[in-house]
Amino acid sequence: MIVGNMKPLEEIVDSLSGFRKVLILGCGSCVTVCLAGGDREARQLALELSRSSAFSGSPPFLAVDTIIRQCERDLVSAYQSLPEGTEAILSLACGCGVQTLGDVFEPLPVIPALNTTFYGASNEAGVWQEVCQGCGDCVLSFTGGICPVARCAKSLFNGPCGGSRNGSCEIYADVPCAWALIYYRLKKQNKLHLLHAVREPRDWRPAGGAGPRVRRRTGVGGGPGQNKLE
Amino acid sequence: MPFFQVNDRCNGCLACVQNCPASALDYEDQNNRRTLRHNMSLCARCGQCWRVCPQQAIEFRHFLKSAWDEVVTLDLLRCDVCGEPLYTVPFKQTVTERRKGEVEPFCPKHRREVDALVRAHFRPGPGFEER
Repeated sequence: MIVGNMKPLEEIVDSLSGFRKVLILGCGSCVTVCLAGGDREARQLALELSRSSAFSGSPPFLAVDTIIRQCERDLVSAYQSLPEGTEAILSLACGCGVQTLGDVFEPLPVIPALNTTFYGASNEAGVWQEVCQGCGDCVLSFTGGICPVARCAKSLFNGPCGGSRNGSCEIYADVPCAWALIYYRLKKQNKLHLLHAVREPRDWRPAGGAGPRVRRRTGVGGGPGQNKLE
Repeated sequence: MPFFQVNDRCNGCLACVQNCPASALDYEDQNNRRTLRHNMSLCARCGQCWRVCPQQAIEFRHFLKSAWDEVVTLDLLRCDVCGEPLYTVPFKQTVTERRKGEVEPFCPKHRREVDALVRAHFRPGPGFEER
């Protein structure tokens, strides 16, 4: 899922200066599950902002709400209302949600309360680890299900660098070397022959090198905006 | 109230069933009746049914703001002094078993007061000599 982190309170206070009425809007999907931007965090943030002495004047009036997903324009347009007099939205969504809100409620300023950080998997309660970078051309089928793009510090494609030591990466001893993980996983799977294959140089266009990526699914069109009743 | 609700514009065309990516919608034709069925444990609340419905019959707002379901109701213990709700009877039983001792039902404030009273009552007075 998409993992985010709350920005420092001082930064949020700075970005809210000058607004008299702000809607703090949580997102009910990824950032709720990773404990960064759901309804609970939205209400807690409102409490902290209302008590903050960092505002030069009095804090703005703060309303709080949460919608299941901020990243879908039609859903937000149809179901998210703004309290009267709202001068800005403080969004606890990832960057997708913040930008969608900005499009829907233009020209209302939409301010991010989170830093969107990575796609993570949770191996234990409360811990998320980056394991995918959405590169658009998945290689997991021949790397034993371990991604060298996300989990090697250098995103190396053809084996470990000289900094690999006893299974650890040179950046920190507690960071496993992705290529050591790949080697031992493939060994367990009796698939070490996959490492001998010579592959074409990587085409990074699917990773975003050819501009912002768009996916269109066929046969899904229509929707409340287009299927008007005659 | 169910999460998936349709208004009277629904004509049973099954566009929602065919487009549900989570297979959370199904239907049953029996005798001369068609019944649309929804399974919340499969539903991703993605809104695809709402988007594709040519009749605008799906009341998606019920997925967003809905009533609370009651899950379980248990006997409650209150503070013996002020009556503030503390915890449930089964919770007390669990704690009693783990502590291997009774737990007196007092709120934090009255626990402190009762403890202070007990300490004052049993404090050694003048003339007490420790042996």
